[in-house]
Amino acid sequence: MNKWIKLAFRNILRNRRRSLVTLMAIGVGFSAISLFRGYVDHTYYGLRESAVRGEGLGHLIIYKAGWHEKGKSDPEKYMFSKQEVETTTKLIMEENDVILATPQIQVTGMVSNGTVSTIFIAQGVVPKDDRTIKGAWNSFRPINGAGLNEKKVFGVEAAQDLAKYLNFVPGKDGVVLANTMSGQMNALDIEVAGVFDSGSDATNDKYMRVTFDFAQSLIDTQMAERIVVLLDDWTKTEKFRDVLLVKLSRAGINCEIKTWNEMSLFYSKVRGMFDMIFMFLFSIVLVIVVMSTVNTMGMAVLERTREIGTLRALGLKRRGVSYLFAMEGGLLGVIGSLVGVILHVGAWALIRWLSPTYIPPGVSTPVPLIVNLVPEVLFILTVFLILLSLMAAIIPARRAAKQNVVAALGHV
Amino acid sequence: MALIEMNNIKKDYFLGETVVHALQGIDLKIDKGEFVGIWGPSGSGKTTLLNLIGAIDEPSSGNLSIGGKDIRSLSDNRRSELRNETIGYIFQGFNLVPVLSALENVMLPLQIKGVSMKEAKTKSMSRLEEVGLGEFIRHRPSKMSGGQQQRVAIARALVNDPSLVIADEPTANLDSETARMIIGIMRDLNEKDKITFIFSTHDQRLLNRVKRLVRLEDGRIVNGGIKQ
Repeated sequence: MNKWIKLAFRNILRNRRRSLVTLMAIGVGFSAISLFRGYVDHTYYGLRESAVRGEGLGHLIIYKAGWHEKGKSDPEKYMFSKQEVETTTKLIMEENDVILATPQIQVTGMVSNGTVSTIFIAQGVVPKDDRTIKGAWNSFRPINGAGLNEKKVFGVEAAQDLAKYLNFVPGKDGVVLANTMSGQMNALDIEVAGVFDSGSDATNDKYMRVTFDFAQSLIDTQMAERIVVLLDDWTKTEKFRDVLLVKLSRAGINCEIKTWNEMSLFYSKVRGMFDMIFMFLFSIVLVIVVMSTVNTMGMAVLERTREIGTLRALGLKRRGVSYLFAMEGGLLGVIGSLVGVILHVGAWALIRWLSPTYIPPGVSTPVPLIVNLVPEVLFILTVFLILLSLMAAIIPARRAAKQNVVAALGHV
Repeated sequence: MALIEMNNIKKDYFLGETVVHALQGIDLKIDKGEFVGIWGPSGSGKTTLLNLIGAIDEPSSGNLSIGGKDIRSLSDNRRSELRNETIGYIFQGFNLVPVLSALENVMLPLQIKGVSMKEAKTKSMSRLEEVGLGEFIRHRPSKMSGGQQQRVAIARALVNDPSLVIADEPTANLDSETARMIIGIMRDLNEKDKITFIFSTHDQRLLNRVKRLVRLEDGRIVNGGIKQ
């Protein structure tokens, strides 16, 4: 085995320039895919954190069955009562992998500083639970001000563009108006407890966060729209949806459970786009690698025809000739992938060192360009490109093996 | 039993629509330990005959057996094994693998056979010393003279202890002195180890030392007598 690998390796070094071009094609292709994958990996992580923590969706969002279809027209029927919230929360918290389950309510209406008014969409959250959900996200997008507090029920957090429009700064007063569940107009005084960046241009001019109790008072209800569940690991999301559905159904709670990615349209759209770009890039690299390897091995077969004849005359079987050339293709894949890993690590280190930032479309502030170093991706890509190079070498290898010995020996 | 037995062997080549009758009814028997020269003008069929004896080509018709085995009945794999185990080749252009050292070139047939690295090395070293190249084992072909390369090719042809060595114009690319040395080595091996040598040549020095001379003309044997 060793001797044939040695021979294959030396054969690769025969035409160094050609082999170098092939190795660079494989290496650059490898690093292009792996760097993009690393970038996408971090972007998915960022979008996931943004949805789960930034938007406060948690990992699972539990609604009463039918909320999405008819909840807007008959909210009382499709919201959780106080008793249901307590029962459901208790059942969910029995699970070891659940960090918290908390009720939320969404209200919309008008907000005014006394002079100017505009629309708002507010999330009614339990401040303590919201801080748990936000976790480290608060250090990424810190709130200007003290933030929500259970003791100051009328304190609100306003998104930065909304705050700017209404001239809201922490400590300043205002008024919110909204329809109660029974259709009456209700107005409540507020005090700005914080200003935050929602992260999106589309929501920065209308988002607010209010305490859960305040939201209930504003629309005059004791009910909750949804229960948000935070898990200790996002990868358990799908599994837990099924677990909770069964458990809550057995307890007589008729509900529907959405996952964070189902609720975050932005995440789904960006992921769809990136997946498509990845496939496109992957296809291009695939074609380049196959063409380069086929060309290199094809030329090698042509140039070494007489040598193939000699090896056959010495007793090497057809299978042996195929094996030798396929091994050379595979070796090109191994070395090319190694070059790719080196390029990837080099680019990764450079990006970390330079720490560049950019503003993605629809995002309000610059975000750092981060490329993750994902060992699994590098490993899978290495295996894939080795197999691909090996497969690409099979066509020329078979051609080499099929040659007539006499004709091969007479080749000039 | 003759080592090589050919009965009414014919070999035709097709060049487009033209049929070239390279061999036209060859009857030949060669016993073990013979030192046979095949000569004749260019195009007389010498190389074609050697290719058939060497089992790298098939006759168009007729019977050919090597060591009692009917060549036409063997599969490609079995024929490869026969070549590896029974036949050694010496080519006019040496045909050494340029990326391998002298020692590695000689080891090739043994490695194809599946012999262990250690055994292959020992045997190859011994053959290289036998042809006077014990000090050149690490040299690549490009760093060796024509004569040295041909001696490596001889060592390679002999390393599997074949019963038959086929050489196609083995001295054609060599100067007189080197050619004489190569002829001497082949003749010694024939005398000492009783290895059968069959070669094609135009070289009178080589023809003078053969035991048997087969003369070909237009694909036919015109003289197959024994020369002492």
